[in-house]
Amino acid sequence: MSGDTLFTQIGRALPRKEDRRLLLGKGRFLDDIVLPGALHVCFVRAPLAHARIVGIDSAEAQALPGVIGVFTGADLARWTTKLRLEPAIEGLHPVQMTALPIDKVRFQGDPVACVVATDRYVAEDAAELVVVDFEPLDAVASFEKALEPGAPLVDDSLPSNLVSHQTFAAGDVAARRDEAFSIVEARFGLHRHTHAPLETRGCLADWDAGREHLTFHIGTQAPHPLRSQLAARLKLAESQVTVVSPDIGGAFGQKIALYREELCVAALSRHLGRPVRWREDRLENLTSASHARESVCRTRVSVAADGRILGLELWLTEDFGAYCFYPANYMARVVAMILTGPYRIADYAFDVQVALTNKCGNGPMRAPMAITSWVMDGTIDAIAARLGLDPVEVRRRNTIRVADLPYTMPTGEVLEDVTPLETLEAAVAAIDVPGFRARQAEGREQGRYLGLGLCTVVESTTYGSKFYKAAGIPGSGHEAAWVRIEPSGAVNASVGLMGSGQGYESPLSQAVAEGLGVTAEAVRLQMGNTDVAPYGMGSRGGRGATAGGGTLYLCAQKAQAHVLRLAAHVLNLNDATGLRLREARVERLLDGDWQPTSLTLADLARTAYLDPTALPAGMAPGLDFSLTYDPPPMTYSNATHACEVELTPATGELRIRRYLVAEDCGTVLNPIVVRGQQQGAVAMGLSGALFEEVVYDADGQNLSATLGDYMIATATEMPEIEILALHTPSRRTPAGIKGMAEGGIMGAIGALSNAVNDALAPFGVVADQMPLSPQRLRDLLRGATSKNAGKVPPK
Amino acid sequence: MTGPARREITLSVNGERRSLTVAPRKLLSDALREDLILTGTHVGCEHGVCGACTVLIDGRPARSCLAFAVQMEGHEITTIEKVAEGGEFSPLQQALHDHHALQCGFCTAGIIMTFQAFLAEVPDPTEDEVRDVLSGNLCRCTGYQPIVAAILSAARVMRGEGQA
Repeated sequence: MSGDTLFTQIGRALPRKEDRRLLLGKGRFLDDIVLPGALHVCFVRAPLAHARIVGIDSAEAQALPGVIGVFTGADLARWTTKLRLEPAIEGLHPVQMTALPIDKVRFQGDPVACVVATDRYVAEDAAELVVVDFEPLDAVASFEKALEPGAPLVDDSLPSNLVSHQTFAAGDVAARRDEAFSIVEARFGLHRHTHAPLETRGCLADWDAGREHLTFHIGTQAPHPLRSQLAARLKLAESQVTVVSPDIGGAFGQKIALYREELCVAALSRHLGRPVRWREDRLENLTSASHARESVCRTRVSVAADGRILGLELWLTEDFGAYCFYPANYMARVVAMILTGPYRIADYAFDVQVALTNKCGNGPMRAPMAITSWVMDGTIDAIAARLGLDPVEVRRRNTIRVADLPYTMPTGEVLEDVTPLETLEAAVAAIDVPGFRARQAEGREQGRYLGLGLCTVVESTTYGSKFYKAAGIPGSGHEAAWVRIEPSGAVNASVGLMGSGQGYESPLSQAVAEGLGVTAEAVRLQMGNTDVAPYGMGSRGGRGATAGGGTLYLCAQKAQAHVLRLAAHVLNLNDATGLRLREARVERLLDGDWQPTSLTLADLARTAYLDPTALPAGMAPGLDFSLTYDPPPMTYSNATHACEVELTPATGELRIRRYLVAEDCGTVLNPIVVRGQQQGAVAMGLSGALFEEVVYDADGQNLSATLGDYMIATATEMPEIEILALHTPSRRTPAGIKGMAEGGIMGAIGALSNAVNDALAPFGVVADQMPLSPQRLRDLLRGATSKNAGKVPPK
Repeated sequence: MTGPARREITLSVNGERRSLTVAPRKLLSDALREDLILTGTHVGCEHGVCGACTVLIDGRPARSCLAFAVQMEGHEITTIEKVAEGGEFSPLQQALHDHHALQCGFCTAGIIMTFQAFLAEVPDPTEDEVRDVLSGNLCRCTGYQPIVAAILSAARVMRGEGQA
């Protein structure tokens, strides 16, 4: 398992296998699956952020022709169990929730009743006729308010809204402060985002009363964990539930957990004995699915006169919303654990608080640790600004070098085979820092404000089961695969992942093809059906390539070894030494040259299945292989982002003039797919940093409930993203794969913000709160004075 | 069924006359998908912003979630299913594939319909023009860069200038 680069299938720029069906309009998404007689669900949702449910009158709704029934939390409680989260994590309070709220609602959009009708239009009509009598309660719509003494409780079972609080210290940060030449503090506020996949949530439940079996069609990133939850909460055996995921129109972390709406739909299909389906509308998706990222970080860093970091302290507070579908420390903890990232820091302490508020609950959104690199590299820029040093030089002085590896971070995380100094130097050279500084100085003379931002990312990927254990998070990071060569020689393979648009089919076929010795075109991946795929942990945390691809690669190698043992027997050789499979043909090493034999994989498959008496003694018939694999506790990719912006002080307009990423993500299964992930992640990060914002007013009313309000960047705002690719394989993983696809967001947030602050420097103001909208930049600049441009117009 | 009674209407879709019985309030997008089983048109927001449901009405791109099916009598509707006749990619579809210009594919049909019409009208667009028109279609996956490249490449092919 080394950096073997003699691959024939891994690394090919194989076009995506999914494209044909998607381009022709023949993809098969959830709503494209038709079951005759299916009923439609619409949820009645709370108009208030916090209120007691006094009564629900559904008589008028029930009387509407086409309505089958209206069901409340009390009804659902009879058919489902509660979700209880109580991992043994110090400082984390156990929480639980019912399928639907029974006593009170906790955010605007909380579902309170479920209408079932023969038609979606009728279900929506009926939902408007359900009268819920609410007794309003005071709401807490920010973590500051939630953490005030005597604040209204979001969850009445908790002693306060502080649902999770952890601290950590390594080394002696107080001593480092005493020794420091300077102590620099910085603040980083990331606003509330939501995933907003183009395809909203939805599901189709089909209860077979005869077999007592539920088939649940749903776009999900993690089919088997979802099946486990669904079965448990319906009090069914896992053998009574099949989860089937069709094509998914994006997920970004929003389609992992079993949501309450989905549980209701499944329970109602069983109760009613008919197929029941739900299509979330966009308003529901923006207000009630899941939110992410809203947090404030403060750092205090002790530095030497040359900018070397002596000690670092972090205070992080996350606004988690009203419900925990994940342990409340889940996202924030990773930020704190990997904060030091590419830098040599031994003395480190953190304090991480997570508060419940009367807002939609949080879920992991592509790069749950998105804020990390902004906090770290923004702190570096704050050091440079304070000490009057070159920000590039401060990075160089603190960056981990190859000679430092393996490097154990103060939190115990181990970095191996990473190249942060190399990506830094590559990005610095490509963006031409001296040339930029000259243009920047010239621009300032003319009243034009350019800024350059750098951000080095160490991206945690894969998350093996040892990480979960060490972090006190329930779950496993292993993965499972099977490879089957069918009697005709056709190759099927499966793994417990489910893609939501990344384009898994080509790269995972390449992993199988490499391990087995066939071409990737000949491999068919079967994913998303829990009766077909092995029990795996699904798609999340940048684990697709290393956990998914790695497991498939190892399983396919196992298959090849078996096939070659059979080949040796057929060829009358003692063993398989000197044999290999290439493009589905057995080759033999003769005089240092690989020579084709007459034997093909199809020949051997025919023998294995249809002529078992011809098999060597002890060899079982068939060609059916399975394998599980637990990757390292963590793998790390690394990158340096460089972003050049131009700011117009009079309007707050920001233009991205250039954006580039030098990224080292190890062995790449398919460069086309990897580049798409890199560019897509940067774009999602920039879109979030510039435009997207979930806005709540002080009463907890969501003010960003359409795509006209929650603004996703369009083609006119997004820059070209240049990629400089480095490939240092991991020595710890199959084929040297590292994983990627989230780091682009981490880097984009940091590089953009650092660039904006570089542009703002002449005005003496610092942007420490996202999004960097024109309004916010104008607020910062209003009345500020530049040495060059004079006073910025007040309006 | 509430509201005004369902009506029988005849629509011209992809060059075929199709009869269906729909409530007056049924959206064109839903009628295409549910009554005519043309599921290549995707519904992303139902409020006219995302552009996923774009079809051609009399050759011009339009949001099918912002029109009622009953309004479409007498108009010619074209959907993604018509673009690749005989299963052969159009130059635009081929370019999108070649440039890895789709990921989840949910927005793709709307983009194809928008630019099938636009490139017929403007065969030699600038990048800025392409980005301006593309801004009516949201893509959450790609960052648009490969889509822009694909459209410009398709335009070259359609002008007879080959791949470039």
